[in-house]
Amino acid sequence: MNSRFAAKLESYIIQDKYFISSFLSYAALAAILVNMITIKSPILGLLATLSYFLINGVFLGTAFFAKENGFLKLMLGILLLTMLLGLVGWITIILYALNTVTLILSLVVVATVSSVLRRTVGSKGDRHPA
Amino acid sequence: MWLRVAEILYLLTISLSLYFLYLSRTGEARTVWEVIHPALLPTLFLATSFLVFISLSSEKTAYKMLFVIFHSVLVHSFLSAIFPAGDFSGQQMVLGRIRRLQDDALFHGWPPGPFGSIQSELFAKFGGINFQGAIAITISQMLGADLLLVHLFLVPISWGIFTPIAVYLATDMIASDDKVSVLGSLLISAFPYATYFGAISVPNSLGFIFFFYSLCFMLRYVSSNDHKTLALLVLFSFFSLFAHYLTGIMSLSLVLLALAFKAYKDEKVSPLTAKVSLITAFVVSTSLLPLSLIYLKFFRPITQTAFTLDKLSDLPLQDIINLVLIGELAYGFDSRTIVLVFVGPAIALACLIYLIYDLRKSPQSGGRTQTYFLIAAFLMVLVDYRILKLFMKGLPFNEERLWVFRDFMAAPFVAVALYSIGSRLSTSLRAATSMSLKIGSIKQLANRKPHGFSSKLLVLNMAMSTLVGGWITYSLNAAYPRLSTLQTTSYELEAVKSIDETTKDKYVVIGDRWTIYAGERIVGISNPRAYYFAEFDRIGLDLFTNMKQDPSHRWMLEAMNITDTTVAYFIISEPRLGTTEFNTTVYKAIQSGLRWRVLGEGKLYIFAYEKE
Repeated sequence: MNSRFAAKLESYIIQDKYFISSFLSYAALAAILVNMITIKSPILGLLATLSYFLINGVFLGTAFFAKENGFLKLMLGILLLTMLLGLVGWITIILYALNTVTLILSLVVVATVSSVLRRTVGSKGDRHPA
Repeated sequence: MWLRVAEILYLLTISLSLYFLYLSRTGEARTVWEVIHPALLPTLFLATSFLVFISLSSEKTAYKMLFVIFHSVLVHSFLSAIFPAGDFSGQQMVLGRIRRLQDDALFHGWPPGPFGSIQSELFAKFGGINFQGAIAITISQMLGADLLLVHLFLVPISWGIFTPIAVYLATDMIASDDKVSVLGSLLISAFPYATYFGAISVPNSLGFIFFFYSLCFMLRYVSSNDHKTLALLVLFSFFSLFAHYLTGIMSLSLVLLALAFKAYKDEKVSPLTAKVSLITAFVVSTSLLPLSLIYLKFFRPITQTAFTLDKLSDLPLQDIINLVLIGELAYGFDSRTIVLVFVGPAIALACLIYLIYDLRKSPQSGGRTQTYFLIAAFLMVLVDYRILKLFMKGLPFNEERLWVFRDFMAAPFVAVALYSIGSRLSTSLRAATSMSLKIGSIKQLANRKPHGFSSKLLVLNMAMSTLVGGWITYSLNAAYPRLSTLQTTSYELEAVKSIDETTKDKYVVIGDRWTIYAGERIVGISNPRAYYFAEFDRIGLDLFTNMKQDPSHRWMLEAMNITDTTVAYFIISEPRLGTTEFNTTVYKAIQSGLRWRVLGEGKLYIFAYEKE
């Protein structure tokens, strides 16, 4: 693992210039949806899921753990993301059901919340990639 | 150079360990120890020793933590990787309900009622299975992977990743040294009970993870005024309650204690009042768990927990003393298990006694409040365990689950203790080396000084790495059970899968508890489309007993009528019934004209009957 590359990638995701990172997160979601309905390939599913977790994990990590180093920020962000997915999924189950449509909607909600939290809770002054 | 060599050797040995774990995978076993590859533990021991060596080096924290995470995921994956359907530990029942949750939520609304009271409905809706189910279903759909696979590895991977990080953060609060913190994150794997709970996918394990983080943010909160820290403390405490009531209650208890420590630190009140409030908070926090369990029946009517003095009056004094000292281990555990379970907490206890003494001498030292808070939390768990063990009955879980809290709090102290011992030995070595050099010639001094000390230091580091690596690896002996019933076999799973794949109509399966467990893992429990009776359903058990004695379509018709299905199956296997009973039942069933199929090289028979 090249730490400079990791730092650059993290910085790129955090900046979210022209919402490119947010867009990539939704693109990963689109890939997950296509995979769920037609392709059903675990490899594609894994790649899309990793992209989704990486982008939104960095968003949440930056929003809540800005003072930690890059690695901890990402890991703690992924933990928060998993909790958020569980919470939204739980609400969906209690209110209706967790089928393909509601699951994708839940993932959209979580991605949007992560992106918004990055912009509102995580201030610019907090940025310092490892 | 030594560091790079250690890193390469670590990656090599951890990869080999993973490969040996893969080779240990089996379709039929009772415990992991029956089938584990003979080279796995020696290779893992080497990998762990190299990892300890790396964690004590000046390598970047991110790399060290990444290595620790690889190791942690591996040691927590034994059960899920070796057995075809994981361990019998309640996780099969959890998956049975998650499968049903997926089906029932789609067709009938979740959770299924009636509940009897609003509190019971709330408990059912907020129960940890729903939360764990939501995560497992979401991830399995995202990956396009089977829910069984995702369920089995959900906790081992989550625990393997997030628990070392939590211990790292907690240790960092009291030690403020990167090497000690990384050592602590590795040492949590030396605690057998914590390792076991990290290896099984039950809501309580997820709750433990969230609890660990709520404790980390409590440690931060007692010495900071950051609103974000407070928000995270509340967030993780909420999720620990959401995942399981035990971890939630413990979080709430510690929140009270943290508030008292915060008030004491901020000196908003007089010193005497602050000290009294600290003691009061400790007593209230300690009593919160036992009292909450009494009132749990308000939400969960089947729980009948109560205080009792029966244990004290019934047991001989020796047993009571044993229970106070070593708890459940007093009952028939071998000395190796007792030592492995208690060596960590004993080191932690010795360390915290030393720290209390040491911190009194230096009142201005950093991390003092956090250390005292962690000591108070550790003592609170020790007291709570003894209250539950000696003064309560009808608990909804075994009291030893509290050891996971204790172990998490002990790991930072053990890391501090081991690192201090290593540092002191290193200092003594430096002193001894410089003394021996003083009496040598100037030429010798120029030639030998750097080499002599650094090689001795290297030997010391290697000795410590071997010792700690050996301890962590050897503790797996107590983490994974050595006695167990036959785990779900590959042919039992195959039977359930083949029935589900080949039956188009609604069907019911009559089988023993083990068949039900296999069914839970593939189609869920009480699924209207593919019906398996619940584990403790008297009707299902009676039908199975009747079928064993008189394997005819009469009982299968009855099962179909009860469950509104059109096809019935009856499954028996030789290892579960015993050869004689198995052969007799098979003979009678074939004689009665039921259709049959054989799996597992003759070890399992499926009999079928269809409604006309």
